[in-house]
Amino acid sequence: MKIRTWVYWCIFGTSLAACGGAPVPHDALSAAQADVKGAEVGGANENPKAALHVKLAKDAIERAQKEINDGDNEEAARTLDRAQADAELAMALAKEVKAQADAAEASEQVGKLKKEMNK
Amino acid sequence: MARSTSLLKLCVSGTSTVHSLLIGASLSALLMACGGAAVAPQELLDARTAYAEAAKGPAADLAPAQLDTAKQSLDTAQRTFEEDGASQKTKDLAYVAQRRAEIAAAEGGREKAERKRSASDKDFKTTQIEGLQKTKEQLAHEKAARADAEKKAAIAMASLAEIAKVKEETRGVVITLSGSVLFATNQSSLLPIARDKLDQVAAALTSQGFKSIVVQGYTDSRGNAAENDTLSLKRAQSVRDHLVSRGLPSEKVTAEGLGASKPVADNGTADGRAENRRVEIVVTPEK
Repeated sequence: MKIRTWVYWCIFGTSLAACGGAPVPHDALSAAQADVKGAEVGGANENPKAALHVKLAKDAIERAQKEINDGDNEEAARTLDRAQADAELAMALAKEVKAQADAAEASEQVGKLKKEMNK
Repeated sequence: MARSTSLLKLCVSGTSTVHSLLIGASLSALLMACGGAAVAPQELLDARTAYAEAAKGPAADLAPAQLDTAKQSLDTAQRTFEEDGASQKTKDLAYVAQRRAEIAAAEGGREKAERKRSASDKDFKTTQIEGLQKTKEQLAHEKAARADAEKKAAIAMASLAEIAKVKEETRGVVITLSGSVLFATNQSSLLPIARDKLDQVAAALTSQGFKSIVVQGYTDSRGNAAENDTLSLKRAQSVRDHLVSRGLPSEKVTAEGLGASKPVADNGTADGRAENRRVEIVVTPEK
């Protein structure tokens, strides 16, 4: 009898966990969407590698929305973590490429100036 | 998920099943223990590689905070793998860890490039300042050289004024030497004293610099005009040749005989005729 009671409690507990589940990751969804937008505004689509990560982030957001609709919030939250990481990487890559281009330009300007002065 | 469902079924089926559950759990635990050497998912392998590469690059010095975040993400993925094996959660965490490592690498690369640009900007400014200083020095040097040349020219003109009449006209600087000082009557060869004077003229012209020189010979109106033209040309050529022999560039110095064509005084008087017998050296200055 004791064991049976324990088993019922076990079933009850498991069902409760399944019904309650993880909350809908609204904040993570908004954050991921904002990061994608930020990366795009930051020029991520001008660089192929960064653009790829923007796409991966967008795909993941789409996937996460389906998972939310299916009630699989825990998985959606992790998918949104992926999306956010991809969006942040896209932004970082765009910034890196711009900084490298600026550095090359500045170096070229110095070279030109020195050449002109040595004429 | 499938495992939880079968566990529930086992629970519902009653006491006897509890034993089966316990046996199943034990077996499962045993399997997990045996599977401790489970193969890490590709995502985790990629994350490890990405972190190792980022740690070797500029991120180690230039983006340590981002690299530390990447390390923490990797550790979390690693722990999850040890607890859950190659689950979807492990894969997701490893995926994020890989991205964090790549972000750290990109941040390191950006910082490195920004420092390089900053150094170039500094170099540009320094070079510009050096250039301005150099130009300033050059200008000062040129100014001094010009002042020196002007001084020399002034001295040369002053010394010329002692032996000849010097006048600035629209055609250039005209140095007029009296024919009686340069030549004997009806002769075109220079007198010894004339050579000394012309040496001074040559020295003055050399120090002053010029674009071109025309030596023009003139006579008074007495005698045959054609002979006067010939004599005036010969005299101009004698002066021209002497100046060239003293170092003036031959291609810049020419001679012409103008006879009695342009008198500067009255040919009716002896003094006037003496003034008309002359050689004019017309100097076109350098621009």
